[in-house]
Formats: sequence, C-alpha cells, structure tokens
Amino acid sequence: MSSPPTKRHLPLLLGYKKSKALLRGKDKKVQLNLTALIDMFTILVVFLLKSYSAEGQLVTLSDVLTLPESRAQQNVELFLEIVVTSSVIVVDGDPIVYVDESVLTEGNPIPALVERLSDHLEYTRLVRGITDEKEMKVNIQGDVAVQAILLQRVMSSCAMAGYATQNRTVINVEGDEE
Amino acid sequence: MAQAATGRSHRVRHVPQLDLLPVMNLFCVIIPFLLLSASFLEITVIEMSPTEGISAGAGTTSLARSEEQLLQPKVIITNNEMFLGTVFGTKHVSYVLLQDHDGEIIPTYDFDALSEALGDFRKELNVAFPTIPVNKIIILTVDDIRYDNIISTIDICIDHEFNQPGLQVAAHSVLQRQITDGAAGGE
Repeated sequence: MSSPPTKRHLPLLLGYKKSKALLRGKDKKVQLNLTALIDMFTILVVFLLKSYSAEGQLVTLSDVLTLPESRAQQNVELFLEIVVTSSVIVVDGDPIVYVDESVLTEGNPIPALVERLSDHLEYTRLVRGITDEKEMKVNIQGDVAVQAILLQRVMSSCAMAGYATQNRTVINVEGDEE
Repeated sequence: MAQAATGRSHRVRHVPQLDLLPVMNLFCVIIPFLLLSASFLEITVIEMSPTEGISAGAGTTSLARSEEQLLQPKVIITNNEMFLGTVFGTKHVSYVLLQDHDGEIIPTYDFDALSEALGDFRKELNVAFPTIPVNKIIILTVDDIRYDNIISTIDICIDHEFNQPGLQVAAHSVLQRQITDGAAGGE
C-alpha cells in the first residue's frame, strides 16, 4: 500500500501515482507537430506587418477624437502631438487647457498653451544642444467638430511658442471618392 | 502470440503526439474574422502656414505686399454662405447645406461648386497673370465653422494648385466688410 507523499517527495508529486504503462513509455521521444503552429504564425506576422505598415510610424489617436477625412497624401512624421477636441487641448498626452466659453471668445494665443509649448522647445534645445527645423514642427490632431476659433487660437499659440510648421493630421481617403 | 515472462501479453505502444488540428481549425476561423473586423486607416497630414486672426477693428495690414499676395484669393465661409474673393471680385459659391449625420444635423457646403469656381479663377489667373505663380490661399471663416468643413475646403484648394493654405478667423461683421469691399489681396 502506498503512503501519502512526504515533504521530501513533494517536488516529485507530478510523477506520483503515474500509471506503469506511462512510465514504461517515458524513454520514447515525444514529437511535436509544429507545422500547423508555423502556418498560423506566418499568417499572424503578415497580419501584424499589414496593420503597422504606416511608413514605419505609429500614430496613437485618442478615443474621443474623430479626425476629418482628406485626400492629402503627405505622410505623417512623428513630431510633438497636440490634440484639440471641443473639451480639452492635450499636448504630448498632458491636458493643458480645458475648453470653456472664455477660450472660445478671448484673444489669439492661449497663454497656458504657449507656456507649455515654449517649455517643450526649451527642453528639446537643452537636451539636443541645438534645435533644427524638424524640432520646430507640430502635428495638430483636431476633432471634426472643433470650431475654427479654437483651431486658430491653437495655431497662434504654436506660432508664438516658435513652432513654425503646423501639420494637420487627417485620415486619408481615396481620391476617387469625390 | 508470444507471451512475456510475466505472462502478460505485449501491448502496441504509440508514440504520444500532440494533436494541434483543433487549434489550427480554431485559428483558421479566428484569423479571417479578425482580418474582416479590422479597419486600416492611413493617417496623412496637411501642412498649413500659420496666419494671424483678423481683429474686429483692423482688417488691413500695412506691410508692403508682393504681387502674389495681391492676387491671393480668399475662400470666405460664413454660417450661411460661402464666397470666393479674388482680384476679379467676390463671387457667391454656395449656401449652407444641412446634412443628417447619425441623427446630428451638420452644416456643410457645396464643395463641387467651390471646385468649379476655383477652377475658373485659376484659368482666368493663367490668362491675365501668366508669369506670377499664385499658390497661397486664405480660408477666412467666422468663429464657429466646423473643422471638417475647413479641411474639405483646403482639399479643394489643393486640387487647384493653391497648396499653401492659411486660416484666418474673424467676426461676422469683418467678413461682411470683406465681401462687400472685395476680398482678394491677403489682408
């Protein structure tokens, strides 16, 4: 009669009470059929390559943002991202300005936004030692419902902070869909 | 059949193999499903030149302007109408159209009419001023024009080689003055 496993036997517990038939066959080589697995991964790799083939650049879009459609063909490059929605202006992931009535009625540049953008440009200058034209570009991701005044104020703020080139990020639609 | 010393009969021993066929079948179903449900969006950009807004009292800048700036057209968008302001005069393009988009009424404009107007202007420009390249255009709007209307307008402008668009936002009264006084010239 077999006794219950002691602490000393515990690591071998998996092998405890194995059938003798199994133990007899343990010297046989187990062959794993990997063909199906490789087939599957081939398909998955093609799928992933296809989904990430945006010229090697990934643009993360906010859930609350619907980009407008355009026939523009210029490829997106990674610059400082400014997300503009009807409720908030986000710079590089940080909400900077919450949009209220005063933001939509007052003068051109938004001081808090100018300060944040200037800080970013200054930080880039300190880290890299020099700022070239590439560092002075921003990508503005605007929601379709954003009002022109808000967009214009964001553009003015960028210009005041020293970002000379301002790209509007859009979703490309085919040219023959007119 | 030969018997072993123990008296038991020999059993046929199979090499254990992992059956991956059900897993493969499962993935064959899942992968087409994922491919069909995935949507691939190509993100592109439109480069715009930063422009100043027009204050209610101003409307003119005292800078010396080049010939190109003098010929620079303007697409004027108000809440009710769209105009094209050129050196040849200001022309009505379209009235606002209200579109039902998922239950939401969205104002839009007749962009085909804008395309036609810009095409005509480009032809007139090529005849009257063939040596002056005009690539800049200003989109002049009131405060609350939707961003998608601005982008659609820019698309049409780029189609007609006005590929350096700028945005100006002004009060309705300023726009009315631009429409009545003639809007070309990059003010």
